[in-house]
Amino acid sequence: MRKVIEGSHAVSEGARLARAQVISAYPITPQTHIVERLSEFCADGTLDARFLRVESEHSALAALIGAASTGVRTFTATSSQGLALMHELLHWASGARLPIVMANVNRALAPGWNIWADQTDSLAQRDTGWIQLYCEDSQEVLDSTLQAYRLAEWVYLPVMVILDAFFLSHTYEPVDIPDQETVDRFLPPFRPRFHLDPESPCTFGQMSPPGVYMEMRRSIQAAMEDALAAFADVEEEFSRVHGRRYGPVEAIQCDDAEVILVTSGTVTSTSRQVIAELRARGEKVGLLKIKLFRPFPMESIRAALGRAQKVAVIDRNFSFGASGIFAQEIRAALCNLPGHPAVFGYIAGLGGRDVTTAVIEEVYVRTRDAERPQEESIWMGLQEVKHAT
Amino acid sequence: MQLDTMDREYIHSGHVGCPGCGAAIAMRFVLKALGEKTIMVMPACCWSIIAGPYPQSALKIPMLHAAFETGGAVASGVRAALDVKGDAETTVVAWAGDGGTFDIGFQALSGAVERNENFLYVCYDNEAYMNTGVQRSSSTPYGAWTTTTPGRQWKRLRKKNIVEALVAHRIHYAATANIAYPEDLMGKAARARTMTGSRFLHIFASCPTGWRLPSEMSVKIARMAVQTNIFPLYEVEDGVRYTINFMPKGYLVNEYFRLQGRFKHLTDEDLAEIQEMVDEDWNLLLRKAGVAPA
Amino acid sequence: MSSEPRERPPTSLLIPCSYLSTESNKTGSWRFLRPRYEEKTAPCSAACPAGEDIARIEMLTAEGLFHEAWETVLRENPFAGICGRVCYHPCESVCNRGEFDEPVAVHILERFLADAAARFELKPDLDRLAARSEKIAVVGSGPSGLAAAYFLARLGYQAHVFETMPEPGGVLRWGIPLYRLPFSVLNQEIALIRELGVRIHCDREVSPQSLAAAGSSYDAVFLGCGHSRSLRLKIPGENLDGVEDGLRFLGRIRRGETPVLQGTVAVVGGGNTAMDVARSAARLGARPVVIYRRRRQDMPAFAEEVEMALAEGVELRELETPVAIRRRGGRLVVTLQEMRVAGEDSRGRARVEPDSGKTREMEVQRLFLAVGATTAEEWQDPPPEGRGVLSLSNGVLVHRPGHPVLVFGGDLVAETKSVVHAVASGKEAAIALDLIFREGLEAVRPRLHACLVGEGPSLSMEVYLGGPRSRRNHRIVRYEDLNTDHFRFAPRIMEPRLLKEERLRSFAEMVLKIGANLATREAERCFSCGLCNDCDNCQLFCPDLAVIRDRKAGSRSINYDYCKGCGLCVVECPRNAMVLEEEALCARS
Repeated sequence: MRKVIEGSHAVSEGARLARAQVISAYPITPQTHIVERLSEFCADGTLDARFLRVESEHSALAALIGAASTGVRTFTATSSQGLALMHELLHWASGARLPIVMANVNRALAPGWNIWADQTDSLAQRDTGWIQLYCEDSQEVLDSTLQAYRLAEWVYLPVMVILDAFFLSHTYEPVDIPDQETVDRFLPPFRPRFHLDPESPCTFGQMSPPGVYMEMRRSIQAAMEDALAAFADVEEEFSRVHGRRYGPVEAIQCDDAEVILVTSGTVTSTSRQVIAELRARGEKVGLLKIKLFRPFPMESIRAALGRAQKVAVIDRNFSFGASGIFAQEIRAALCNLPGHPAVFGYIAGLGGRDVTTAVIEEVYVRTRDAERPQEESIWMGLQEVKHAT
Repeated sequence: MQLDTMDREYIHSGHVGCPGCGAAIAMRFVLKALGEKTIMVMPACCWSIIAGPYPQSALKIPMLHAAFETGGAVASGVRAALDVKGDAETTVVAWAGDGGTFDIGFQALSGAVERNENFLYVCYDNEAYMNTGVQRSSSTPYGAWTTTTPGRQWKRLRKKNIVEALVAHRIHYAATANIAYPEDLMGKAARARTMTGSRFLHIFASCPTGWRLPSEMSVKIARMAVQTNIFPLYEVEDGVRYTINFMPKGYLVNEYFRLQGRFKHLTDEDLAEIQEMVDEDWNLLLRKAGVAPA
Repeated sequence: MSSEPRERPPTSLLIPCSYLSTESNKTGSWRFLRPRYEEKTAPCSAACPAGEDIARIEMLTAEGLFHEAWETVLRENPFAGICGRVCYHPCESVCNRGEFDEPVAVHILERFLADAAARFELKPDLDRLAARSEKIAVVGSGPSGLAAAYFLARLGYQAHVFETMPEPGGVLRWGIPLYRLPFSVLNQEIALIRELGVRIHCDREVSPQSLAAAGSSYDAVFLGCGHSRSLRLKIPGENLDGVEDGLRFLGRIRRGETPVLQGTVAVVGGGNTAMDVARSAARLGARPVVIYRRRRQDMPAFAEEVEMALAEGVELRELETPVAIRRRGGRLVVTLQEMRVAGEDSRGRARVEPDSGKTREMEVQRLFLAVGATTAEEWQDPPPEGRGVLSLSNGVLVHRPGHPVLVFGGDLVAETKSVVHAVASGKEAAIALDLIFREGLEAVRPRLHACLVGEGPSLSMEVYLGGPRSRRNHRIVRYEDLNTDHFRFAPRIMEPRLLKEERLRSFAEMVLKIGANLATREAERCFSCGLCNDCDNCQLFCPDLAVIRDRKAGSRSINYDYCKGCGLCVVECPRNAMVLEEEALCARS
């Protein structure tokens, strides 16, 4: 059924259709609409789930760790400060190999208080062992939520479905909402490989000395590696049932491009328009959308970017003391490729500042016209702030 | 004591608790009363180590190790999952030390109790962060040496009253218990098991290692804590109905303190002050229970 | 449409999750102290002259195992019913419970067991040795002679008892009044001894000649004839009509005579016989006045006897002694000299001297003398130390080659004249004789020493026969050794007695029976000092589950694979039945 819905509600619908069984969440703007809608679903019986109104995000994830360990399907959503508060337990969820699915609305981190789009919150968690899926539009959000469960329950790693604050969470788009029966054909009930069971008691998460910890960590990485292939399988199945697929990356007109822009999230959507216009003017430009960030799709990225002369990464985030995070990862992916392109890093849109077509075009022009990057990161559109001390 | 309770054991020998460990005794008694249809959530505490390293476990019931501050929250999640699966029989127990209950774990506990989550939370109290080497917690009693309240800076703050804090939440059931009173302890655990809603057991579990006490005195010192009114045995239902389970003769506190190395710096004046505090707290409890003071 | 969702090969999933218990950690290797179960000696059993295993008796009684409890008494003392009624129970004076609330009423329980045995016609299963050829003559069928015969029979010997009187029992029959010891009880316990094969010949007096002749038929002779000659006051008027020897008076009553007494009668003396005479006289209608030359606390009579006499209306006049008796009309007039205390002797008894000038007269209907007794004939006195004379705790043994071994026992040698001391005497004699016959004279002292209960002087037959008690530590458990946290105050049972008005109406037994419920309740008050009574505190409090109930062994054992040596079991044992020792480094394997 096609309906115009808010981006947040696309998440809610995804979790509902996925038959999440235990939901535990703490409100934070701009995630609130996600969990409010789910709360309504639980109250009116549309969704047969237990909803825990916990007293912090840390407890929200803690509760899901408990629930997932007991062998049920779980869901939560958060953003920014809430995600940062969960940090300890993000590590825990992956270390415990629990197939938890969480939606994160990319929002800036304080201080100062800023509720608008910024990717630093989720990217700062890139080491925690969660699969990360960045979404461009509401349909992708809903689809990714459904896919997240299939993926998580195959490789036993938690999955984060990520959407931009306000630009995606609070805008309305037409979305194809599948019916429950169709989804059930794609997503079978969760049958855990382990769970807390009085009939078959054992202890989980106990002290693991040096002699064994490293192997457990290797197992997580092995699962991440398997996740690349698993994601392809998930998309294959999803495509067969729903007729849509996204790919870990999407290359738009990259084959003969001299300059390829790399984007993620809603910036991708704006960039498509810019690329079309530039191409119309004869520019040899392409666009690479990154959807799957963890596990980092090395091969796909090398294949898409390897033959370009220059790559311009637009990061709506920053790792202080280094550079934009997508740029870091792409530089690392390409550095051993003979004759690899120069990678230009651009920082734009932090704290919800609008990334307009003008900004993107400027990114392209500066990249095209520079032989090599003069700086590690170029901050776009900085202004002089009056009254600064 | 019911014969079948006496014969059932749910912990294994070979665990790595210190000799004379009160926490091991507490676990043994509580599990005897709860039985095998129990799932335990265990935030970081001494028992996280006592239970043994991978691939061992000292418990015969399913157990989930959890992060330090998450006892109340993880247990809530386990409970929700069991409810979704239609399991109304299994008891969910959060098993935490004083650190994971009074301090870092207090938020999650308060949140869970406020929501009246259907679980039993057991705090075994050895009055400091023993697992990490005897640092002070808000459960450390007035007068105690710890590694973070050493020398002249011995703790001059009273022990936090966790039961009263939860009573203020109108918790469905809260009770104190003590390893030296096994029938009372097991009775309360068995009783709590039959209830629904949030239930809390505060168990006095001596630590010979951290209290600088000979290991063989572990149970005796616990008994003395009750006999001196330092740790009264009582229950509170729904935050209003107080029942004092045992009216001891009220021995003076001096011998209790003199037997423990962690108190050896206390002078007679200090002990007199402490006696006044103990008497004050005891009389307050009597008033709440509607019992006339002695 | 689309196929069923397909499966993939499972992803690597190495998580911290258990598949072994901690039982592979043998935490016993941590230990530097090792606990052990060890029985120790309860103070009551050491204070009992017969060395009865009192703590075990009460334990069995508390468990309702009355048959076994009764047998445990009999192992050391054949007179459960008799001692339960007449013993002065020194055990109760040292009972550790006495420091907690009140001592356990051991004698009431002992009597209960005998009553239960009688009621259910129980037969005891006593350990006995194989029959031997030696025969022993026992002179006197009082408590020491009967006890000696009893223990000799258990050791395999033929014991023949010779008794002057027409019926056996000695002071048990002729001395102790019926209201303290009914005939039925006495007859039952004598019958038990007869059932072991002991032969009792009554109406048979023994003379020095018959004693000499005994050598040809007997290998030993036990002399338990006691002090049957009453002492006299040696004052004028002592032989007047109306003045009677107290013991003889008691004997007459026991033979069925009921002389009618009225008015005031005087009883001179301060021992148990004096009390018996006074209380008997009270029952026959008189108003007895006991006249004693020292103070009440100096009286050799058991304190309880004095109390009961006073409760029955007997008057006590202290620090008085008769100096002359004369008749006036149908009555006797006794001149009494007042005495005063002139210091104390080595035992704390008063030394008295006449308070000159202070005399008074008292008119009485009758006067009974109970100022002590001595041997009827010289040959009954034990010889002094010398060659061939072995002085034991409760007897004197004379060993001369070519003669039967002679043992003087009972009241002939005892400092405290009581039934239980008589039993101790008979036991010691029996064991000493057995040692002489089996191993020789040199074995007597060391082997007797090995049978001591605690530090002695009481002996245990069970230890002599190598029973479980022989493995017990001699250390006596004191009150400070117990963990009294585990006990609750409980009042001691009140001995049920006839009402005061009822007592004087007849010679019916004054103390009444108790039921099994009261008996078990009282027995449960026993702390069981030094003996494990299966309370399971050790098992309950062990943090490592290293205490195992060993049902086959009937008790407990420590699993040293896991025991960390924390010592909780030893401290929480309420009764000090465990010990904590240093772990010998080489003992670990």
